[in-house]
Amino acid sequence: MAETMENPKAGLPDAADMLLECKGVSVSFPRYGAPVSEALRDVSLDIRRGEVLGLVGESGSGKTMLSRAIMGLVPPPGEVTAGTIRFEGKDLGKLDEEQLRRMRGRDIAMIISNPRGELDPLQTVGQQIGNVLRHHLNLTRRQIRERALDLLKQVSIPDPQRRMDAYPHELSGGMAQRVVIAIALACSPRFIISDDATSGLDVTVQAQVLELIRSLVSERGTSMMFITRDIGITAHYCDRIAIIYAGEIVEVAGREVFFDDPQHPYTVLLLAAFAQNERLRRYWLGGDKVQEYTGPSPVGCPFQNRCVRVEERCRGEHPALLERQPGHFVRCHFPVERP
Amino acid sequence: MQILTYIGRRLIFVGPQLVGILLVTFLLLKLIPGDPAVMMLGPFATDDGLARLRTELGLDRSIVEQFGIYLWRVLHWDLGTSWQTTMPVTSDLAQRFPATLELVTLSLLLALAIGMPLGVVGARNRNGIVRKFADIYGLAAGALPDFWFGLVLIFILYTILGVVPAPLGRLDFTIIPPPDVTGSLLIDSVISGNWPALRNAAGHLLLPVLTLGLINAAPILKMTLSTMERMLEADFSRYAEMCGLPPKVVARKALRNSLPSVITIVSVLYGFLIGGAVLVEIVFSWGGAGQYAVQGVLNADLNPVLGFVLYSAILSLVIYLIVDLIYFAIDPRTR
Amino acid sequence: MTRQPQGAGALQVSADREAGNAPASGWSFFLAVLRTRPQFALGYGIVVLIVLLAIFAPLIAPFDPRQANPAAFLQKPGWPYLMGTDATGLDVFSRVIYAPRIDLTIALAGTVVSALAGSILGAIAGYYETKRGLGRMVAGFIMRSSDVVQAFPVFVFAIAVVAVLGQSLQSIVLAVAFVNAPIYLRLMRSQVLSVRRLRYVEAAYIAGTSDLGILARHVIPNAMAPVLAQLSVNIGWSILLTAGLSFIGAGVEAPTPEWGSMIAMGYQNIITGHWWPSIFPGLALALTIFGFSLVGSSVEVLADPVRRGRLAGEIRSKRVRKTAATARA
Repeated sequence: MAETMENPKAGLPDAADMLLECKGVSVSFPRYGAPVSEALRDVSLDIRRGEVLGLVGESGSGKTMLSRAIMGLVPPPGEVTAGTIRFEGKDLGKLDEEQLRRMRGRDIAMIISNPRGELDPLQTVGQQIGNVLRHHLNLTRRQIRERALDLLKQVSIPDPQRRMDAYPHELSGGMAQRVVIAIALACSPRFIISDDATSGLDVTVQAQVLELIRSLVSERGTSMMFITRDIGITAHYCDRIAIIYAGEIVEVAGREVFFDDPQHPYTVLLLAAFAQNERLRRYWLGGDKVQEYTGPSPVGCPFQNRCVRVEERCRGEHPALLERQPGHFVRCHFPVERP
Repeated sequence: MQILTYIGRRLIFVGPQLVGILLVTFLLLKLIPGDPAVMMLGPFATDDGLARLRTELGLDRSIVEQFGIYLWRVLHWDLGTSWQTTMPVTSDLAQRFPATLELVTLSLLLALAIGMPLGVVGARNRNGIVRKFADIYGLAAGALPDFWFGLVLIFILYTILGVVPAPLGRLDFTIIPPPDVTGSLLIDSVISGNWPALRNAAGHLLLPVLTLGLINAAPILKMTLSTMERMLEADFSRYAEMCGLPPKVVARKALRNSLPSVITIVSVLYGFLIGGAVLVEIVFSWGGAGQYAVQGVLNADLNPVLGFVLYSAILSLVIYLIVDLIYFAIDPRTR
Repeated sequence: MTRQPQGAGALQVSADREAGNAPASGWSFFLAVLRTRPQFALGYGIVVLIVLLAIFAPLIAPFDPRQANPAAFLQKPGWPYLMGTDATGLDVFSRVIYAPRIDLTIALAGTVVSALAGSILGAIAGYYETKRGLGRMVAGFIMRSSDVVQAFPVFVFAIAVVAVLGQSLQSIVLAVAFVNAPIYLRLMRSQVLSVRRLRYVEAAYIAGTSDLGILARHVIPNAMAPVLAQLSVNIGWSILLTAGLSFIGAGVEAPTPEWGSMIAMGYQNIITGHWWPSIFPGLALALTIFGFSLVGSSVEVLADPVRRGRLAGEIRSKRVRKTAATARA
């Protein structure tokens, strides 16, 4: 890679404090008749102990692929073609499949969306929580049952005793979401990835579930990567926020800075879409002209076709992710200045 | 209790379904050119004798009447007589249907024992040697005509090696058959403690069961393989992987979720083989039900064919009911 | 490439994305598929070979397939009887290569007739099922009839059809067609039911396109791929059915060269050790069905966009690995 390898870790306090370090991670899929498609390109991201990082991007931007790369579960024929992922200092790429498997669910857990489709339809809630407990912790049958019940109580499922024997299709969406959270918490992991966890839920239920996740995580000091399409959610729940576009990180900053001084046009566009200010919104969404959807550009800045501030340089030269202020990284030739 | 309501609802439709199937069979067979009276009495029959026989058989009445009479008799469990064997169809079938059932059941058990494990292992390891073997097996066995494969086995195991009894029926003529209880020679021999008969019957079963079992393992294998593969890629398997469950446990989940498809294909094969085993029955002179029906069609002998169709329709219904009950047991969503 | 990105390595990939953009179709793709899946190539090879043998049988066969030489019965395979002779003194080899003329013709004709009739009936049934009045009754009638046909034991039904129509080529074709038609009927019906719910079909309906117009323009083209895949898979089974009918004696009459009846004629000789009159035609039969099922599975893959895409990806990744390997060497 000719691109300079920036390190978003620079200027941060202590390397021992790092829980997860992704460095220059690329994931690509071979295709026939076309060159490989890159789902992730040179992604570098760090997460500290106890930190909640929000990862925001539209569908297909590579958010889920990043979570799967961290879990070591990139679906074939895709593969991690470059970069390293370290968890507590260990290079995950150097672990064998069995060691990786033991980490999944025990050290790194996942909260997924659409849980009713992802839970095994033929097993009861109790069995599915029990499965995870049995295979990661050395517990007796009694202990497993007790702990599963305890977990269901912790995620505030009403009447947990009865829910233990319920099948996934008998649960409501919010209830199933809580079950999945219980499974994620089962082995007290040090890192949780929440992948669009609340997208399928009613707004009121969504708020409850988000609050539940936040309180459980902060209670235990667990680190979390909070993947979402909704930038608004991150304002309440995340310490730091990263924006991903077309498989690349385009902006990373702490929450205050991020909302106070967004610099990448895509970030501003996302924020403007929520803004009350009509003029602001019209400008960033491209004004009156009807925007036809254009995909990421293969040459130059991927965002050029949707950017209202595009210039000649953006067409030819791919911007690098640069640290503009300590801890604030932006991938843009012409970052937005605060007015 | 939902199960009972469900079965009840199914049974309500059984009657009309059976009448429909019988009606179509009846009409179809009536279209077959050839006068049973002529066939029964032979070329030297007098016109007078023919006319008398036709009246006796009801052949001089309208088709509708004939069908009505037939249905009335079926209600009293009288399926008429076969002019070929001169026996009541019910007693003919009582002898032949169990012969076919025994053959088909054992064959499908063998097919399951071969097809399922190969399919499961093949689906779990897509680049492994078992997978290669499974792919080749599925294609090759699916291409083999069963009646020919039976002949090949006879040639090798009987003609050359001489390790199995002659392919003529279910039992050597020198063996005293066990008293008829279930119709299955194996079970009846065990019940009566007739060990020579048991050994002999097993020897006669070996080749036809191998023939049908090895060939019908192919569809079971393909179904297990493709369903298992799909289930291993399904969302719940991916989630189980993310939870760090061992591959064995993930595979077990996938297998449980694949079982309904495997059971379905087995039930379809069962229904098919009741009549479809006829070619193999002919090769081994098995004297089964399919053979009986085919002889009936070829000789304008109506009653055996109707009886056979009725029996196999009822059997299919029973099989589908059993399959539904198994679904109920496996899948909580159907409860 | 007119505009070269300025040394951005990550973009090298995107650059050649514009360069070579061969779609996953056409001859070169087909050849690439045959290279990665040699079993498909084998299947096409077998089918072509059998068809050529059938076409040029009069030139290749050393003996008349119908003319027995009673003096030379049950001759062992050798010279001049490559596959020996049967109990009546017919040359097995000549008959084996003449046989596909009958078997393939019946199986192909039967399958095509069943696919056509089944698809049309299925399209009608699916299309009118959701409507009211006469159409719905017709649809119901079609579906119930297919239920009845499927409830029958296949062989008994096929034999009965042949018995009703008299023993001739046409009746065997019809028997094969009858037995197979319900498969296409159900396939087409489910396709139509799903396509009907699509937005653009609703739009066409609102725009006043006639029923037939909608069926012809929107529904049938969409359903072609699965029907085609089913058809190619089905041919092998039809050949088996044809041979089975003849084996029972309800198919082609002797001495017409046909694999099933040849096996039947020779099967009494097996027990006495004269294996060749039955084994050779059976081998040819099995090989042909094997070839057609390989072709069938290739069509199944190619007609399904998802599986075709996956295969295309595999070809691509193999090619990438190969270029990487040569670059390293």
